[in-house]
Amino acid sequence: MDFSIWTKEFTITMKNSIYLIGIIVLAVAFGFIMVKGNSVSEEVYTAPVIDGVQEVVLSLKDYNYSPNTVKVQAGIPVRIYLDSSVVGCLRDFTINDFGIRKHLKTPEDYVEFTPTIIGRYTFACSMGMGTGVLIVE
Amino acid sequence: MTFKEFSKFMTNRNDSFVKSVFISLIVSFSVFLFAYFIRLRYVEDFMPKYGFYIFFAILSYSLIVSTLKHIRPYKEFPCMSGMMIGMTLGMISGFLAGFYVGATNGMFYGSVWGMLVGISLGVWSGKCCGIMGIMEGMMSGFMGGLMGAMTAIMMFNDNLKIAGVIVFVISSVILIGLNFMIFRETKGADRKYEDNFFNIVLSFLLTTLTIWISVFGPRSLLLQ
Repeated sequence: MDFSIWTKEFTITMKNSIYLIGIIVLAVAFGFIMVKGNSVSEEVYTAPVIDGVQEVVLSLKDYNYSPNTVKVQAGIPVRIYLDSSVVGCLRDFTINDFGIRKHLKTPEDYVEFTPTIIGRYTFACSMGMGTGVLIVE
Repeated sequence: MTFKEFSKFMTNRNDSFVKSVFISLIVSFSVFLFAYFIRLRYVEDFMPKYGFYIFFAILSYSLIVSTLKHIRPYKEFPCMSGMMIGMTLGMISGFLAGFYVGATNGMFYGSVWGMLVGISLGVWSGKCCGIMGIMEGMMSGFMGGLMGAMTAIMMFNDNLKIAGVIVFVISSVILIGLNFMIFRETKGADRKYEDNFFNIVLSFLLTTLTIWISVFGPRSLLLQ
């Protein structure tokens, strides 16, 4: 057999090609194992009607409002409280579509509005760091 | 000094950049696998919660460590190059470390880890070229560490994982750019020595500490 092709430079090229393939294989294999799943699960909460008002108490979980998907009925007033676990800018509660922006200083403070149009509306803190969805049915 | 010559410089020599990245990845993924089978698999929701960030932290460290390893053997750069080296490595390493730890542990712990990694590596790489490189490494590590964690927290509920990929891609391009600068400055000269031990130890330390801080370390009130 002719081994004249097996020069030093060729060996280095071969080795480096193997390293390159190794990098791709490692990245793809571990990427497939590690980059899967989503920790954010959408918990849908249906607001109960108490004395003619739909009451929702939001708390803090994984740096977001929890529950962050709330189902309410159209035409009945909705009252949203933030419990004591909610801190920082997340206490500055906004729902742009209803023109609501209020700093809920204590767990007893609330925002109240009556949704009339069916749809999905976003609620958020004033900086947009905590967000959620209000589903009006 | 064409791009073709640069790519040969990076991939086609005994102490090539791809070899360093490969060694670093082998070490880091081995650490991860060992930790996973010993302890991490018992952690609830481990992969969905931490897998993504640890994976990208490992990829980032492999590029950072390999770049640092390739720069260290050249000891004679002008002050301006030293500043650029210290600033780039300090900023990128601080930002990435801060970002991925900030995403799991919050602003404070992400910043502290990011600043620690950024300042250490920035100073270490910048000291090749005098006090200006050291100062620049220190300042950029400080800034990068804070910015990385802050960005992660600001994007927490706004496509954080996509941001993590974008941040990694941009940082990789910048690090390749730094390697190109080194290539131009040294005119493709051979390095004085090859230090794979450094590569292995640093990859091991960074990966181990990142996994430990992310999974078992303290976290901010907001993420408890």
